[in-house]
Amino acid sequence: MYELTGIRKVFAAGSVALEDVSLRVGPGEHVAFIGPSGAGKTTLFRILNLTLRPTAGALVFEGQDVSELSDAELRRVRTRIGTIYQQQNLVGRLRVVHNVLAGHLGRWSAAAALASLVRPRDVAGAGRALEQVGMPEKLWARTDELSGGQQQRVAIARVLVQDPDVILADEPVSAVDPSLAVSIVTLLRDLSHASRKTLLMNLHSVDLALGYFPRIVGVRDGRVRFDLSPDKVGPELLAELYAGHRDEEQELEQLRDGKNPFGAACRPLPGFRK
Amino acid sequence: MARIPSAPPADRFPASGSRRLFPYLFTAVFAASVLFSLREAQVDPRRLLDADALANVAKFVRGMFPPKLTGEFLGLMARAAVETVQISVMGTAIAIALGVPLGVLATSSLMWRGVLHERTSRTGRWVLGFAPYAASRAVLSVFRSIPEYVWAFMFVRAVGFGPFPGVLAIGVAYGGMLGKVYSEILESVSPRPLETLRAAGASRAGVVLYGLVPQALPNVVAYTLYRWECAIRASAILGFVGAGGLGQQIELSMRMFQFDEVLTLLAILFVLVASVDVISGRIRGWVA
Repeated sequence: MYELTGIRKVFAAGSVALEDVSLRVGPGEHVAFIGPSGAGKTTLFRILNLTLRPTAGALVFEGQDVSELSDAELRRVRTRIGTIYQQQNLVGRLRVVHNVLAGHLGRWSAAAALASLVRPRDVAGAGRALEQVGMPEKLWARTDELSGGQQQRVAIARVLVQDPDVILADEPVSAVDPSLAVSIVTLLRDLSHASRKTLLMNLHSVDLALGYFPRIVGVRDGRVRFDLSPDKVGPELLAELYAGHRDEEQELEQLRDGKNPFGAACRPLPGFRK
Repeated sequence: MARIPSAPPADRFPASGSRRLFPYLFTAVFAASVLFSLREAQVDPRRLLDADALANVAKFVRGMFPPKLTGEFLGLMARAAVETVQISVMGTAIAIALGVPLGVLATSSLMWRGVLHERTSRTGRWVLGFAPYAASRAVLSVFRSIPEYVWAFMFVRAVGFGPFPGVLAIGVAYGGMLGKVYSEILESVSPRPLETLRAAGASRAGVVLYGLVPQALPNVVAYTLYRWECAIRASAILGFVGAGGLGQQIELSMRMFQFDEVLTLLAILFVLVASVDVISGRIRGWVA
């Protein structure tokens, strides 16, 4: 699916966001990315969804080097990558149905897109997607009237309508209530499992990552520190990953003391006392 | 649990340490300019209160009462009021017709910068993007930096007395203002939804239709309505240089010292502005 070799990203201001990142992700794989804030995870995801161009290194998507794509090819490849962001990135003033149908924009002509704003084209498809995320009754609601968790579900419904091969979820639960976080992560996992999509997720919460993903990539200071199955990710490795980042270290302390912020919904974490 | 929102990408907002002095400097300059202006503009409240001034004000006010409300006069003035509304509507329509295309051209995010132009070549950006952008910004500046009063004066010379020069004056001056503000509204929309749509493979038209327009529309409508309200007041002023409407009547009555007529006219103007305010409030409610 993805093949990254020696990816490096330097921003205009001179800060190095990513350094020598190499990674292979196979089709249908589920991978969680963890690491302290500022580690470069979001930058990595913006490179993976072809929003940012790496400064150096090669990014191969399905056997195609993306730096060689033409405009039209780039658009076509992008339709196969669906992204869910930390903030919902929806247009609040539009009705839910339009935000969901925006998933079709990669396929629709300008005229079709305009016509759909007047008279929605694929209402049935939007309804099905909303049903899958558990809120079919919100189809005609105004998006900014929904709660943060509901808006995140609208964003997921949009990705379902887009029907990509890969779902990139960049901290999809950071802005929602912890009680909803588990349900959104499991929803994404189950939906992408059912449709055999590849799922890459940035997670702020170590326990969610370890509890729900078979492969964990630790990122720190723009580099991949480890790439392991969750049972091999022990307390020492995590302490090292988050060293010097106080908030996250405190969260780790809590985990070690058996306090799981996500409660009983989360399975016991390997490597930690229950 | 502490959730740290991700910081904006460092390459977009470079941190600057040299800005810290600026607020103090600005405050000092501002204070100095107020004191200086107080003297130079000959601000002297005592002059409002001396005997001559008060006597003149009294004469003016006494002359206003009772306001002139004869049927014949009201009939004539109703015509002028309708003309004022017509001038403002047509003027605003021309202003929109000028402001929308110029405003779009003056929007950097639509012309040459940002997520819609990630793949545009360097020459394309400069020739097809930046050049028309800069030109339309210059045109907009000229349009709005010349007061509508001066525009009206010029158009009266060009096309003669009557409502038409007033329409043209409002159209051009307000076209400049609308275009400038439209471009600012379009620039200020959140770029996140645009980037999201782009990342999902949407075309430029798709990004504009589903990201830009819905975010900008309520502000565009609200500001246009506000300008229409201003246009009603402006068309009253424009009458002073012979551009028709209520203003021309106010000017005539003032020149004849018919303050009772002036009061009636001001009352009509007040009712007009208040009704426009109510109507535009309703419309803003629908689109918000």
